Amino acid sequence: MHPAGLAAAGTPRQPSKRRVPVSQPGMADPHQLFDDTSSAQSRGYGAQRAPGGLGYPTASASPQSAFLGDPVSNMAMAYGSSLAAQGKELVDKNIDRFIPVTKLKYYFAVDTMYVGKKLGLLFFPYLHQDWEVQYQQDTPVAPRFDVNAPDLYIPAMAFITYVLVAGLALGTQDRFSPDLLGLQASSALAWLTLEVLAILLSLYLVTVNTDLTTIDLVAFLGYKYVGMIGGVLMGLLFGKIGYYLVLGWCCVSIFVFMVSWGSGKDGTRGTGLLGRVGGPWRHPSRGCQVGSLDQRPHTGELRSPGVAALA
Amino acid sequence: MAFTLYSLLQAALLCVNAIAVLHEERFLKNIGWATDQGIGGFGEEPGIKSQLMNLIRSVRTVMRVPLIIVNSIAIILLLLFG
Repeated sequence: MHPAGLAAAGTPRQPSKRRVPVSQPGMADPHQLFDDTSSAQSRGYGAQRAPGGLGYPTASASPQSAFLGDPVSNMAMAYGSSLAAQGKELVDKNIDRFIPVTKLKYYFAVDTMYVGKKLGLLFFPYLHQDWEVQYQQDTPVAPRFDVNAPDLYIPAMAFITYVLVAGLALGTQDRFSPDLLGLQASSALAWLTLEVLAILLSLYLVTVNTDLTTIDLVAFLGYKYVGMIGGVLMGLLFGKIGYYLVLGWCCVSIFVFMVSWGSGKDGTRGTGLLGRVGGPWRHPSRGCQVGSLDQRPHTGELRSPGVAALA
Repeated sequence: MAFTLYSLLQAALLCVNAIAVLHEERFLKNIGWATDQGIGGFGEEPGIKSQLMNLIRSVRTVMRVPLIIVNSIAIILLLLFG
């Protein structure tokens, strides 16, 4: 986790541009997510790349030439390092096609205070007033700066912790064996995948204009693991009564959280997760909303709006 | 509860197979879900039924060839590994 003070040149990110901005002056630059350490590496590679292309060993440029002294091996090494640099470039270029790395980085830009507040919100969402996600110039603010933004750090950690706690619970009942951990993990992952698919199917069938991406859905569905961990731990401590009590409490809390997430200060934006989905009934009093970006009219969309949610 | 990722894959394959074998003329026409019966123009709300019909038709069109490949792989794997 990165402390809030880190602010170097961040990665430009393009998450769902479909969200409508609410202007928030005085906010720190949300594009600076993490430190940019790539400049140090490229400097090192750049020095090696120049001699490799020509085939002419410039002994003064590479530091290893001092103790190698052999022009052929020098040239071979320079060529090899240039190949490595090109390979790294290729991988960096293509990795973004399969795994949206820049989008994922947004979801992990959290800090301790955010995690603490979010966990408190997941267990007790009843007193939280303002659920709106803040924007800065058409992009949502990083989770570090806004407690309402979804993140993937808590769901990922909660998933792993749940698998471990389930193993612990199995151990207290003398049913534990190490391969059961893997079984629990893949079972939980399968249920999560099933839920994501079910929600995507429902969103497609009901033809809502939504600016929820698939990763957002995974983040929201991953928040339930926090409640599950709480339930299992209470069950270990206090037996069946404690387990069912805490489980019921967490169920209601997650329900209230999902329903009221995204609604405005006075609840005028409509209900929670469904409030993020568009429609002509969206409340018009939201900051600087761009008309074409916000109201995606059905006539303008030739493809199904549900498919847009999958993008 | 042994609900693994592999069983999810199997279930998904079986479901897609089930959608792919729905016959247009013999079955879908009889219950009014054929593709030439439902498209109501470019009106406002498509409705759930027409969305479902669109989904069935697109699954049948898109997944025909990949299903052949995936089914063959599944058959070979099941023959080899039981």
